[in-house]
Amino acid sequence: MIFRALFLRPLLRQPWRFAVTVLGVAAGVAAVVSTVAASRAAVASFAEGVEEVAGAARFEVTRPGGLPESLLANLRPITDHAIVVPVVEESVLLIELGDGVRLLGVDFLLDAEVRPVLDRGTARSSLDSVLLGFGAVISRALANQLQVTLGDTLTVSANGRPGAIEVAGIFDGGELSAVWERVILMDVAAAQELLGRVGRLDRIELVPRSGADLDLLQARAAELLPSDVSVAEPSERRRFAEQMLASLRFNLVALSAISVLVGGVLVATTLATSVVQRRFVVSLLRSMGASRARVASVVLAEATAIGLVGGALGVIVGFLGARVALASVRFTVASVVRGIPASEIRFEPGLALLGVALAVATALAASVLPLLEVASTPPLQGLRAAVPRRLDRSARWRTIGLLLATAVAVVLLSLLPAWGDLPVAALLAALLVMGALLAGSGLLLDLLSRIGHGPVLRLPSVAMRLAAAALSASRRRAAWAAGAVAVAVALAVAIATMVTSFRTTVEHWTEAGMRADVWVRPMAASTGVWVGHLDPEVVAVAEAIFGPEVVDPFYSVNVEYEGRPVAFAGAAFDVVQHFGSVPFPGRDSAAVFAEAYQRRGAVVNEPFANRFGIREGDRVRIELPGGTLEREVVGVFTDYSRSHGLVVVDRTDFLVHFPDRGPEDMALFLPPGSDPEAARERLLEAMRGRFLVEALVNRELRSAVLRAFERTFAITTAMYLVAAVVSVVAIVTVLFTLVGERRGELATVRALGGSRSLVMRMVVAEAGLLGVAAAGQGTVAGLVVGVILVKVVNLQSFGWSLELVLPWSTLVPLAGWVVFACLLAGLAPALAASRLQPAEVLREEG
Amino acid sequence: MTEGFGASGGCDQVMDRVVLLEEVSRTYRRGDEEVHALAGLSLGLGPGEMVALVGPSGCGKSTALNLVAAVDRPDSGTVRVCGVDVGSAPEAHLEKLRRRSIGMVFQAFHLVPHLTVEENISLPLALDRRRDSVRVEELLRRVGLEHRRRHYPSELSGGEQQRTAVARALVHRPQVVVADEPTGNLDSKTGAAVIELLAELRREEGAALVLATHDGAVASLADRVLELADGRMVG
Repeated sequence: MIFRALFLRPLLRQPWRFAVTVLGVAAGVAAVVSTVAASRAAVASFAEGVEEVAGAARFEVTRPGGLPESLLANLRPITDHAIVVPVVEESVLLIELGDGVRLLGVDFLLDAEVRPVLDRGTARSSLDSVLLGFGAVISRALANQLQVTLGDTLTVSANGRPGAIEVAGIFDGGELSAVWERVILMDVAAAQELLGRVGRLDRIELVPRSGADLDLLQARAAELLPSDVSVAEPSERRRFAEQMLASLRFNLVALSAISVLVGGVLVATTLATSVVQRRFVVSLLRSMGASRARVASVVLAEATAIGLVGGALGVIVGFLGARVALASVRFTVASVVRGIPASEIRFEPGLALLGVALAVATALAASVLPLLEVASTPPLQGLRAAVPRRLDRSARWRTIGLLLATAVAVVLLSLLPAWGDLPVAALLAALLVMGALLAGSGLLLDLLSRIGHGPVLRLPSVAMRLAAAALSASRRRAAWAAGAVAVAVALAVAIATMVTSFRTTVEHWTEAGMRADVWVRPMAASTGVWVGHLDPEVVAVAEAIFGPEVVDPFYSVNVEYEGRPVAFAGAAFDVVQHFGSVPFPGRDSAAVFAEAYQRRGAVVNEPFANRFGIREGDRVRIELPGGTLEREVVGVFTDYSRSHGLVVVDRTDFLVHFPDRGPEDMALFLPPGSDPEAARERLLEAMRGRFLVEALVNRELRSAVLRAFERTFAITTAMYLVAAVVSVVAIVTVLFTLVGERRGELATVRALGGSRSLVMRMVVAEAGLLGVAAAGQGTVAGLVVGVILVKVVNLQSFGWSLELVLPWSTLVPLAGWVVFACLLAGLAPALAASRLQPAEVLREEG
Repeated sequence: MTEGFGASGGCDQVMDRVVLLEEVSRTYRRGDEEVHALAGLSLGLGPGEMVALVGPSGCGKSTALNLVAAVDRPDSGTVRVCGVDVGSAPEAHLEKLRRRSIGMVFQAFHLVPHLTVEENISLPLALDRRRDSVRVEELLRRVGLEHRRRHYPSELSGGEQQRTAVARALVHRPQVVVADEPTGNLDSKTGAAVIELLAELRREEGAALVLATHDGAVASLADRVLELADGRMVG
């Protein structure tokens, strides 16, 4: 009966209230689920995908930069214990798809034992075309997407070189992971030829024969191979990829968690207002003997119901939204780890459960305030109208003390170092700032209503004065609504601060460091996903046309430094010593490269220096194929492209250790007065029909970098839109509740001659005052969080320092929009209030 | 027709009837039930006159008062207050009429809970964009609440709340004061004190007063007592 009186009946009579709250929770959960699902899917192909593609292989023989095929002979002694499978792997552009795919060259005669899944339901036209020609096996999902069948031809661009392949087989990937949907399998020899990598392998897989001792097998293989070759489980590669993406994932998830905070505030607001609305019934039931615990259990049941329904809805919307978010995350992930991130979102029951659990936990945590309200509701005999008190002096000082203590905690947490490369303490500090908004909004509203009543600054109209008084009276509930909006505003301001700072920094960086006149890279996928290298011949063509003294190819591989993944690169120091390249703060770029060239030194990027505590003059020792390389660090340059660290040496040093598989990209420095566009045309003309490359002039390169930047931040921008929607919902909910609570009062104002428009203005003014309070404190808190994000979180997560640029030009319009949105949110409750019939209400209320 | 209701919003003509109800009927719905609250009620009220409506619960007293207070409109018949035809006047005219010419006292006081005593009394003036601190001060003194001016309604006794409501009903010098069971929520001693105050102030201000009451003692103070039953005048 109590359950019916306090929950079911109000739910049936006012379903919108429940629906609105559920939507708020769903929005927060959807933000988290979509971010997590998208980043997991994008990372999956590097992480989970590694082991799945490895199939039955238990060990992988690898070396940065690849292996010579001749090493297969070294492994002959263990063939009784393991099947030895050569593999070539590269990201290529599939022209018909307009996106990158993973080209896997395997030995088809052996592979049935390694990856039996691929044999399932496979339709093959002829093994000959697979083994002898450029035949490829693709998944049915990819075949359906491309609408191709056996015998059709596809075009891939591998290292900028186009090549035709024939669809020689289609495997049924029904039960298989999305990883396989973007894989093209070819015979290893054909793949080597297509990739211009004859005689080279990317790895050798070892599949133990039954009864083989795994430890012994690994040890024996290691003995048979040179010392710079690693024999490790496939999961090692996954660990490597996960290490590189850990910060990115952590930050994305942390950011989306703030949306849950906003959703939680909304639940607290709604539950608290619902208890207040039912205060009379609670009081009546208490007077009839219902215990506090029984009434509280109904509040908890309502919170659970909100959490369950909101969580389920949020999970559904989240998985749908993940498809949209994936485009942004995929690009970001691909820029961190070169390769082809997955493009499909699969439903994950574990994540769905986590989403629902998060929603229920949030709703239950948010029910603390309403439970306090229940505990303080006396039996009917003692029930009087709530006394609309302003904050007394001691309460004011308590709040100010709490805010000061929070400020101290925020400063201390911001000064703490990262925990395992993750900015946990700094993000906790940001969360504390958000929490302070909830504590401080009551104080601010009290101040606002005092101003409204004060003799000096009396508000200009009756509507405003009544609105200020009403807000003062319902300060607690109004404070939660203002807090919810303030959290959303703070989130928006913080993100604006970070994005503006980042963008300005990157703009300055491109101006200072991108000096090449023409920049050449392999044809990129339309999705922005990076595919492969430039063919070495592209460099030769450019050198033949423009002279080797102006061509700067940039080679890069991933290696380990002190057990952590970093990029190791080679650049033409002999070229850039004349033109300069990446910026070295306070130093002339060309001079640094000249010094590095003369002294055979290295330059490192700022994230590398920060992660490993390296300064100019220090020496770095890196284990590379063919031996250890030790170089003096001649300069530390700013870099916003590789957060896991980059060491650059002269290309001659690089090519001693790694075969020339072609550079990642290539820069051309033209003589003064040259026409870059004409030079580009000349280069492209020389390559026409042979290579698929993109050549950008300086201006285009800079705008491409900024476009890439915008793309990376698309998901963070979407995040605060979610928060904005949730906060508007909070305002609407609270105002509807306040209007409902004050029916009698509004009817009295109407009976005393107050017009409909006065009542409307009054409610809209309340919304406006809430908006002003929220915009004010949200902006201040947002700036603080922005500074933490720019100066601490970025440095700890990615190792790069950013200029702090406060987004003044967006702050004023943003604050204006918030107030405007609040005014809009106030319109519906205002309309409802103005439609109250005073005679009816007064009749009902005596 | 809105004759008699000038730009000032007050009764600017000398009329022999400030309130006139002729054959007024009013029906409203309560759930699925249709309630015939008034069925052909007629009554008139002269300037300065005090009339008491008596009768059992549900006889139509409050409905009649809502019509006189211009917060409701009749289904048929005529209701004129200060010459304004309540049935046909635009809503804006009725609002102005309520702001300037009518004062209301309710059984449940209906003070605005988050305004202080002083602010509640000033409210009708504020709604009409006027200020008259001298008048507010005078009424605070007359109702004996000078020392409670900064208090909120929830901090007052029932009698104090109703005295605040009486001051609020008179602050803008209305021509008609409507009081619905003004002593219904008060003990008899407090109720008597409030009604004496209301009658005295009404006399001094020259306003017509129509009140609904169950209390015979209160009704006896009126110039005329009209008895209602089933929405009609029976005595």
